[in-house]
Amino acid sequence: MITLSSYLAISFLLFVCGIAVMIARKNIIAILLGVELILNSCAINFVAYTRFVNNNLDGHIMSLFIIIIAAAEAAVGLAIVIRFFQIRESIHIDDATQLLQ
Amino acid sequence: MEYTLGSILPILLGPFLAFVVNIFIVKKWTKLGVFLSCFGMFVSLFYSFRIFKDFVFGKYSTGYYVHKVFPWFDLKAAGVSNFAVDMGIYLDNMSAVMLFMVAGCAFLIHIFSTYYMAGDARYGRFFVYLSLFTTGMLGLVLSDNLLSVFIFWELMGFCSYSLIGFYYEKEGAGNASMKAFMTTRIGDVFFLVGILAIWTTVGSVRFVDIYAAIADGSFNGLYAVGLPLATFAALSVFMGTIGKSAQFPLQVWLPDAMWGPTPCSALIHAATMVAAGVYLSLRMYPLMELGGITTFIAYIGAITAFGAATIALVQTDIKAVLAYSTISQLGYMVLGIGVGAYNAAFMHLITHAVFKACLFLAAGSVIHSLHDHHTHGHVQEMPRMGGLRKKMPLTFIAMLCCTFAIAGFPLFSGFVSKDRILGDALVMATQSKAYWIPAFLGFTAALLTAFYMFRMMFLTFFGEPRDKDLYDHTHVEKLSWNRNLPLLILTVFTLGGWYSGHFFGGWVKIPGVEHKEWFATLIEKPRVENFKAYKSLPFGSVDTGADRVFEESQFNPDKYFTEKEAHHVHLVHAIGAWASIAIALAGWFIAFMMYSRGAWNPGRWVNAFSGWYRALQNKYYFDDLYVKGILQKGLLPFNNLLSRFDMGVFDRYAVDGWEAVNRFFYRIAKWVDDVIVDSVGVDGTGASVRFFNVILRTFQNGKIQFYFIIFLVVMVGYIWKLV
Amino acid sequence: MFDNFLFISSAALTVCGALAVVLSPNLMHACTYLLTSLIGVSGLYVTLSADFLAATQLVVYVGGVVILMLFAIMLTGGNDNKSVNKFGIEKIAPMGNIKTFTLAGLSALLMALVISKIIVNVTKAVPKGELPPFSSTVEKIGELLITDHVLAFEISSVLLLGALIGAALIARPRKIES
Repeated sequence: MITLSSYLAISFLLFVCGIAVMIARKNIIAILLGVELILNSCAINFVAYTRFVNNNLDGHIMSLFIIIIAAAEAAVGLAIVIRFFQIRESIHIDDATQLLQ
Repeated sequence: MEYTLGSILPILLGPFLAFVVNIFIVKKWTKLGVFLSCFGMFVSLFYSFRIFKDFVFGKYSTGYYVHKVFPWFDLKAAGVSNFAVDMGIYLDNMSAVMLFMVAGCAFLIHIFSTYYMAGDARYGRFFVYLSLFTTGMLGLVLSDNLLSVFIFWELMGFCSYSLIGFYYEKEGAGNASMKAFMTTRIGDVFFLVGILAIWTTVGSVRFVDIYAAIADGSFNGLYAVGLPLATFAALSVFMGTIGKSAQFPLQVWLPDAMWGPTPCSALIHAATMVAAGVYLSLRMYPLMELGGITTFIAYIGAITAFGAATIALVQTDIKAVLAYSTISQLGYMVLGIGVGAYNAAFMHLITHAVFKACLFLAAGSVIHSLHDHHTHGHVQEMPRMGGLRKKMPLTFIAMLCCTFAIAGFPLFSGFVSKDRILGDALVMATQSKAYWIPAFLGFTAALLTAFYMFRMMFLTFFGEPRDKDLYDHTHVEKLSWNRNLPLLILTVFTLGGWYSGHFFGGWVKIPGVEHKEWFATLIEKPRVENFKAYKSLPFGSVDTGADRVFEESQFNPDKYFTEKEAHHVHLVHAIGAWASIAIALAGWFIAFMMYSRGAWNPGRWVNAFSGWYRALQNKYYFDDLYVKGILQKGLLPFNNLLSRFDMGVFDRYAVDGWEAVNRFFYRIAKWVDDVIVDSVGVDGTGASVRFFNVILRTFQNGKIQFYFIIFLVVMVGYIWKLV
Repeated sequence: MFDNFLFISSAALTVCGALAVVLSPNLMHACTYLLTSLIGVSGLYVTLSADFLAATQLVVYVGGVVILMLFAIMLTGGNDNKSVNKFGIEKIAPMGNIKTFTLAGLSALLMALVISKIIVNVTKAVPKGELPPFSSTVEKIGELLITDHVLAFEISSVLLLGALIGAALIARPRKIES
């Protein structure tokens, strides 16, 4: 039986995986992968709630914007990564500690 | 003529603005600056001549005055002004005459300076000083109160300091300027004390208020340091005169003042600096009279006149002779004040200013022409001159006229003024025995004056040139506008007729010409009771003088005498006049026999009176006395005593004792420092910083994942609490 | 029947992809697994009768973002070779080591505890009703985007423009002052 709970469970798994990726990886691009996972888990939640609870399209709109923002985030984030790589010749997260000072 | 700001202030502002502008431009545009200075003086001369003309020929009244005031500052307490000082302009006949004399002399000296100082390295700067100096004197004459008189007085002191030390590369010039400044300062301090004494009594320092207070008897019954207050104040003010006008015993600075350039000597000796002292005494004459110090003043004047004349006998420097003659003539003025010859003393101030300016300028003309080709300096020594009248006839004429004037020959101004002083001294002597000595000294000094002035003339202009080389190198004088013209203009005014009203002493009457004894008529002792009803106007107002229309004064020398007294006075004056003519001729004759004929050998006199000669050469040892006696015996031991007190008492007990106290406090402070501040404070701060550093460094490690974990933990905590 | 099949296969694709992203030792592979996971999410959208979103997910994510990431990985060389940082300290391996995975597991567990608590509460609260039948959402979403959500729509367009320009600007090769 496909209920809301099954979607929430999938979303939950995606979210946990995303967090795990974000913490376990030291590669900036890999961390960005984790971010994408988390964003997607949220989007699934929105659409699932719309389908099972509200019966309108607001969740769809929200997910749409999430996709848009994810695209923007990915574009800018990757640009930063490339720039960082040009400067440091590394995309290791532990090299990006300049803001410490 | 209307008295507004525009008609009075340019007298002061002309030279002052020239000075202000010149400070900035004179180094770059020297010629323009010099022109500005002369032009400023000309403006001043023009406006002062207007006032002079108006006072003397327009109003022709003894009592006419213009008094304009503006509030300078006013200290109020609770709306009541308890210390208000007004500044103002006070013009009467005396200031009008004085202004014209000062502006005229200063203008001619400016013109002459363009000749004398041309080519000097500090040509422009000289004019800056000259302008400021003249400003000081004009301001002093215009002042209506003692405070602004003092301000301008000090301004002149500074200017004379810078002018005497103008050639500051020479050691003598620097010392002389210092000496002049310090010596006059002694008098200035007393003057200031006098001003304060007057202020405490009168509550104002205006001349008119002082006169009114004297008329009211405000000084009666008051005492200061054991003297009546009037005497104390008069003495203090007179000490200012002694310092400024180089009277005995503070005369030592004036001979050294010749270290300055000759035109500045002319200005100091004639129109400005020394005249200021006599002018002040004349202004404060009622106070001197009230204080009863006129006899003292007469003695001071007579001693100065005689002593300086004797010193002048042996001087060989042409400027030194003139310097001592200045002191001597100033002594005459002070003697005139002392014997009550108010009018004559002031006239002598004016006539002396004219002929002494002329003499100094002529001397400057001589000195400037005599150029030593070996030392490249100007020659001032009379033994190296001689026969110069052929080389510089115009200077010779000017100097001769001035010598006649100063020696008191008839028809010349010196006769008119000096012999009135001597006549009055004689009158006083017949009335009081105490005045015999001043009168006698005055007549003797007249003889000496005639002698040393003609000695100077004979040595300089007559006879054979004694330094042939120098004589041959001297150019023959040609008439030049800035060298001879000022001299000749001043020479014209050495004639006595300008001052006495008739050129021939009243014996020859020219029909149809009214002879006015304007000087004797207009200049009168201030009658203090007249000043109670005086009026002063605010500064900006237009004053037509309509409220002060006095009837024309008539010349009446016997105004304040009974008929018997007048007869006596006339008789004594006639005796004095004939005596002084005889004395002047005698002085000329002795000089003629000694230095022109060579009949009498001055060397014999020198040998006969060698002790006196040495004393005169050393100026009566006054400098030695001041340096060795007062400075070394008096001040130095006193200073040593002070220093010993400083070292022995103050250092040992006060300073060392304080040190012990400090040492004790130091121990306590050190313990506090070591234990509390260092251990707890400083080290504790370090330790705590290190401790927090460890914590903060752990948290702020710049690793984004660590931050993320922290964020997660905190968020989980929140949500856990929430759900 | 088809619904169930679609849901199960999509869910499996999503979860397995996500797990593979976590566990894959190779960044390139991880990225490819993310691709799989996102395709699975797109399938889930289909089961939720969100046809427009599913298409968008495929176009934007699968066709855009992940490809972008692959480009970035290839431009930066994936794993950098330097094993020490500028201080000379040995760096943790780019794809993580046992320590980071332990830390990640603990964090995930913490998160899972909280979220499972929420989910339990939520599933109890949600009523079970009839699901509405499927109808195409494209038209309605388009209508909503230019009526109710027009502001957000416009702002997102500005955001995208800004991101475009910003990304181009940031990544522009410049001379590096050492």
